[in-house]
Amino acid sequence: MLHTPRRKNPLRALPVLIVSLAAPALAQNAAPSALLVPGPLSQRVVAYQIDARLDTEKKTIDAIETLTYHNLTGQPQDTFPFHLYLNAFQPKSTFMREVRTGNAEFQWEDKYRASEEIKSFEVAGQGDLTAQLHFISPDDANPDDRTVVQVKLPRPLAPGDSVQFKIAFHDQMGQVFARTGYKRDFFMGAQWFPKVGVWWQGAWNCHQFHDDTEFFADFGTFDVRLTLPQNEVVGASGVEVASVNNSDGTKTVTFHGEDIHDFAWTADPEFRVAEDYFNGSAGRVKIRLLIQSSHADQTARHLRIVQETMRRFNDWYGPYPYAQITVVDPPHGALRAGGMEYPTLFTADTTWWMPEGIHFVEFVAEHEFGHQYWYGMVATNEFENAWLDEGINSYSETKVLDDIYGPDRSMIDYWGVTLGEPGYQRLSYLSAADRDPIARFGYQYLNSGSYGGITYGKTATVLLTLEKIIGEDTLRRALRTYFMRYRFTHPTQEDFLKTIEEVSGQNLRWYFDPAVYGTAILDYEILSAASDRSDWYVKNPPKAKDGETLYRTNVVVHRKGDFIFPVDVVIKFDNGEIVREHWDGRDRWVRFSYDRKAKLVSAQLDPDRAIWLDRNFFNNSYVKDGPPEGQHKLVHYWQVWYEFLSQMLAWLA
Amino acid sequence: MDASPGILIEGARRVWRYQRVLWWIFVVNLVLAIFSSLPLVARLSRFAGNGFEMERFAKGFDLASFLALIGNPEAAFFGGATSSFVLAFLFLLFMLFVTGGFLEAYRQDRKLSAAEFFHYSGAFFWRWVRLLIFLLIVLVPISLAASALDNWDLKLWSDAPQEKLGFWVMLCGLLLLLLVLMAVRLWFDMAQVRAVAEQEFAMRKTLFRAFRLTWNNFASLFWLYFRISFLAWFVLIFWLALWLHLSGAHMGRKFLAFQIVLLWWIGTRLWQRASETVWYERWTETQAVVAPVPAPVPAVPALPAI
Repeated sequence: MLHTPRRKNPLRALPVLIVSLAAPALAQNAAPSALLVPGPLSQRVVAYQIDARLDTEKKTIDAIETLTYHNLTGQPQDTFPFHLYLNAFQPKSTFMREVRTGNAEFQWEDKYRASEEIKSFEVAGQGDLTAQLHFISPDDANPDDRTVVQVKLPRPLAPGDSVQFKIAFHDQMGQVFARTGYKRDFFMGAQWFPKVGVWWQGAWNCHQFHDDTEFFADFGTFDVRLTLPQNEVVGASGVEVASVNNSDGTKTVTFHGEDIHDFAWTADPEFRVAEDYFNGSAGRVKIRLLIQSSHADQTARHLRIVQETMRRFNDWYGPYPYAQITVVDPPHGALRAGGMEYPTLFTADTTWWMPEGIHFVEFVAEHEFGHQYWYGMVATNEFENAWLDEGINSYSETKVLDDIYGPDRSMIDYWGVTLGEPGYQRLSYLSAADRDPIARFGYQYLNSGSYGGITYGKTATVLLTLEKIIGEDTLRRALRTYFMRYRFTHPTQEDFLKTIEEVSGQNLRWYFDPAVYGTAILDYEILSAASDRSDWYVKNPPKAKDGETLYRTNVVVHRKGDFIFPVDVVIKFDNGEIVREHWDGRDRWVRFSYDRKAKLVSAQLDPDRAIWLDRNFFNNSYVKDGPPEGQHKLVHYWQVWYEFLSQMLAWLA
Repeated sequence: MDASPGILIEGARRVWRYQRVLWWIFVVNLVLAIFSSLPLVARLSRFAGNGFEMERFAKGFDLASFLALIGNPEAAFFGGATSSFVLAFLFLLFMLFVTGGFLEAYRQDRKLSAAEFFHYSGAFFWRWVRLLIFLLIVLVPISLAASALDNWDLKLWSDAPQEKLGFWVMLCGLLLLLLVLMAVRLWFDMAQVRAVAEQEFAMRKTLFRAFRLTWNNFASLFWLYFRISFLAWFVLIFWLALWLHLSGAHMGRKFLAFQIVLLWWIGTRLWQRASETVWYERWTETQAVVAPVPAPVPAVPALPAI
């Protein structure tokens, strides 16, 4: 059952109720609905109507955008900022400056150049304000960045009122550099239209486009008419409601989306279309896959993983209320458009050669579908709190893929080599473990590596470790509560953390503060472990006998990092006895001592391997006379490598 | 001259007859390999011991654990890489040294005493070093071609209308480069064979003569080399399949299988040298038979040796 938290006055809901009751009857003759359930599901701050024409030769878009903005800010508004994201693909933009800062080898090529130009800007009842437009750079004051434009209205918009902007714009698309653009005959229309900022936490939130950040926008409706050549196979956010062939060899395809906050489309004559359905708790969802003909043999893989993922999200977190999900497979050379999420549409990523045992297709498709929940519906601020969508999504990715393929092999299970999702996320975290706190604005991270390692990897690892504290089921319930409570809104990171505390019934600040807001490293180790005869002081002691000779066993556990975390230690003796100790982990070290007629066999920290944040698993155990096979294998691999090297060099002789 | 099967068989016979060379090379390689892995053994024992985490390599191969291991600065997994490179370079020097000895044994088709073997090895060592320098010079344009292929291929992967075009170009390009490298090695091997047969000191001259000889008889010589190389690669692929088939619990068998493959690889390389020696012998005999009888010339003072 859907929850619409902002509809408190029952009378306000009356028109919606009437429309909802009438909807099934109207639907008999009406265009396909974008929702499976009666709307509105969100506040619908914006309503976009865009009439666009794509010139596939010139790679341009000319469009008229009519934006109706509802002032739900509770105060008069006379200033409106707009994103012009495509202007990021210019050499002096903040985006490109950051790309170059992160990679000194990067060379600008003019094929990447794109632009988004407002030809005219009218406000209904207030006239043409084109001349009033001016670029602003709220994040870095870069005078050459043109990704945010602002306008001041002659008359402020009163609270509760609406204003209509009519914007004529011209896009020049570049070759795909990041997410959007063209490649040969393929077009990915993402971040392609002037999009108004979000009034959030008492201010306009309209950041410039950065190398490492994504997007933030208000929910609303989208009615988009795309005119393009008839041979193009088209997909877009929402649902297709009409397609008309024009006499000039073009066609006009109309899409409608509700309760979404962005609109993306794609076109390519090479697409093959495959369709399937998922029966979720909100109804029957159409899965529309647009796959490259050279990847047609991977059609079933794509459809299967989307279905499997939808089923788990539906069961674990809540229903998917939209009528359709569109999956786009970009062509080779356009992979930078792949692996990206948009409301009710996402791009996958594959190549012609992708063995079944390498779950890359599944990894990407699962992740991007997950964003329909953690971004699409729970629309957090990706500029400022990227971890709330990427990180939570990476965590749910570990759960879904582990559930499908089994732990330790959910990413790769190929030729004896295995890689599990949690291990992959942890590796990602380890690559930048102490560089940045999770809660840092996306564009303020040290670099892309740190952004990826922390936002995705550390968040997933933090949540996996949280399972040890509150339990996997409780965390799942907390995520469900968070989703159901905050879907179709813009929650903050504190909303998320408080929801977990509320559902678990625990004050978790001791964990969240270092894990989310800090950079402390978690690393516990078995510093020493040994058994010593109790009669060590006796000269010429009797020969030791099993079960008769008394030993004193000492196990020292050491906290190497600054992150304090309670740990369990399991100590095994050679008489079969097993002792499990619990340490709050606060002091720098602790010694466990035992007097037993048995010797130590092993001492193991975190025996359930549940503290994924622990930086080093290799120092978590001591095994006396442990099996050497693992070490033998690594040494053998080293010898194989060396002997190949020596043979290659000897070829020169 | 055709590279008749007799040459291959005769080459194999000489490798077999003087197999002590093969075993020595194999043993030296193995000992150096063991030396190269000793630092790793020490580091692994110190860092991870036989802890439970190491079990993740025992059955199967957990990539996450491996990457965590090699990425941990405390483990210093690649700390011994430099010494391994040095050991591999030592093996190269060893091969440069013994080449004169075994080529002389193949040429004379008799077992050399240790003193003779080391005498010939030492006698040719610096000549082979000079040849190695020439070989490195020849490899420069080949490396540039490989780099150009790589750049072109990168562009094809992204921009070619057919997705697989980049792959096929790379595959064909690599095969072509492999064949070019084989031809270059054939040429330099011929220079070594000729230098031993003619007791030649001038390496530039012998390289030039060997080039002409190889060029004029390229088809038969290349076919000779190609068949032996094919056998070497075939066994390597067979080993790879076997290696993947054997589970982690069979490390002893894996080690043994790999050593057999290495023995085979070293053997095939010696087989190429021995066969080329036989080929040169027969070519020389042919030249002696077909060479026209020189017309008598008036006696002149002897020219100084060039």
